[in-house]
Amino acid sequence: MTLELSQLTQQVETMGKAAAERQDAYADLVRLARQWLASYADQGEKLRDGARSGREAAIPTAEPLDGVFPLPEIPEKLTVAAADGSQIQPDRHGAALYYMINIGSMVYRHGSGEAPEARSEATLGYTEDDLYENGSPVSGNLLDIRRDLGELRRLADVCEEEAPSPTVALVDGSIVLWVLRDRPPGARKEKVEAYLEQLDRIRRAGGIVGGFISRPGYNEVTGLLHLASLDGDRKKAEKEPNPFQHLPDRAVFANLPSGARSALFVSPKETSQRDYGQHEVHFFYLNLVQEGEQPVIARVEAPAWVVEDPAKLDILHGAIVAQARIMGDYPYALARADELAYISSQERAALEEMVSTALMRAGVRSTPSPKAYYKRLTRRGF
Amino acid sequence: MSMNDRDLQVGRVLRASTRGFAIGCAVMQPEIPSFGAFVRAEAQPSGEAIYGLIYDVSVEDDPFVRQLIGADMPEEVVRDNRETRQIPIEVSVLAVGCGRDGGIRHCLPAQPPVTLDWLYQCEEAEVRAFTERFDYFRLVLEARDVPTDELLAASLRAAAEARPAGERERFLVEAGRELVRLLAGDPTRLEGLLRRLRA
Repeated sequence: MTLELSQLTQQVETMGKAAAERQDAYADLVRLARQWLASYADQGEKLRDGARSGREAAIPTAEPLDGVFPLPEIPEKLTVAAADGSQIQPDRHGAALYYMINIGSMVYRHGSGEAPEARSEATLGYTEDDLYENGSPVSGNLLDIRRDLGELRRLADVCEEEAPSPTVALVDGSIVLWVLRDRPPGARKEKVEAYLEQLDRIRRAGGIVGGFISRPGYNEVTGLLHLASLDGDRKKAEKEPNPFQHLPDRAVFANLPSGARSALFVSPKETSQRDYGQHEVHFFYLNLVQEGEQPVIARVEAPAWVVEDPAKLDILHGAIVAQARIMGDYPYALARADELAYISSQERAALEEMVSTALMRAGVRSTPSPKAYYKRLTRRGF
Repeated sequence: MSMNDRDLQVGRVLRASTRGFAIGCAVMQPEIPSFGAFVRAEAQPSGEAIYGLIYDVSVEDDPFVRQLIGADMPEEVVRDNRETRQIPIEVSVLAVGCGRDGGIRHCLPAQPPVTLDWLYQCEEAEVRAFTERFDYFRLVLEARDVPTDELLAASLRAAAEARPAGERERFLVEAGRELVRLLAGDPTRLEGLLRRLRA
């Protein structure tokens, strides 16, 4: 072991104390934020334009900002599908240049008594077309986008297979596609359109799609409170220090009753505002746990066509809580989809071995780079 | 690999030595392998058959199931964890013989099987052939960290089951005679073993 833990003892101790102090300071801020949320509760309409013109503040809907909506009932029989993905990045130090995406998914039929359907679908990318896009190597954000698209495509497939019965399709994380700004605008648009095409398929199949974000770090509602305190003047809000700058929204909504959701808000994210159109992303916060337990607040995102239909919104809300309560505080189907997508270090090594063997059979002599070779030697545990 | 072999697959080798090996298999296998069953693997690269007895079957600890255990689990979750999830069962095998081209020797194999090799349940004919002689008793009785007497009794009961009903009694009596010869100096152990054989 090369990490000298003893060097960190004092720093870890100090870090613990700092966290405790920060928690005390947060408590005061949370109280203030909740007061403001109640004070400005009916000013949504007045604040909407100011929020929409910026990227920092949640955009209010017609619901009062401090609205609380109790846990609705869900149909006794309901299908929930969840998908998650993982990937192996191309490695120029490896035996060959390739990437791999593994999409795990679960189709869980509530009230059926049936074993859920579990699936893992692995895809290898190795041709020139796979590995390069407009001259850029497909790795990092570009590979993330391919994985996100694969997850949503799988959910769209399930929704179509299950139609006309409605399926709740859960994505792990935000449904606002994150595309790096340095991509050419045309390429960015193409990515977003491919993603929105899958949302369209889900909509046409009668599905209800939601993005589930565990322990969300967003501070968009607190951003809205800052804007509200300045009478909706965005320019002023950009100049004035925001007292809630580091306060996540989830802290403000930690007083939601068991199973209840917050008001709906519209995401101010640029991609959603500029490109999503009828899929404009809305969100709410939700307390997942049973009565009497410490609150666990999640953020749920959904397109406009889901939240504008009260029945669909209630099913999404109820289905997520029903799923989360199987384990306590996290949707079961998402936990299993993650498990099905996960690529262990042994599996990575086995794939690398398979690739080396296939290359050898095909008469290609290939070895890992010296750097990779020596890393393997030094990092192998005995 | 024939269909027949596929039906008899128990799992793949996780780790091995010449004295025995451990294999992993999923809960969804048609038949969970049982204690005392005769199994066969192949030594690599020689291709020699290695015979063994299953002496331990354990379900590995699973933190995910641990999280669920206190909850009121819907039937869908129970079935998911039993039928779909790859919760590994680890099966430990004691090597008791090897063979090639139909010839069987009751001794430790020269080489162990290799990681990820398949382990198969022995067919009845193989069990009968293997238990025509009782030289493997000594390997079982002298094994360490193995429930030797329980294992020997269970394997003999399995071997008797592999024979026609009319031959079972005679087979067990002959096995008992061999045990009397081997354990003459330890009457207490002998009595316990014979009692288990009759159970």
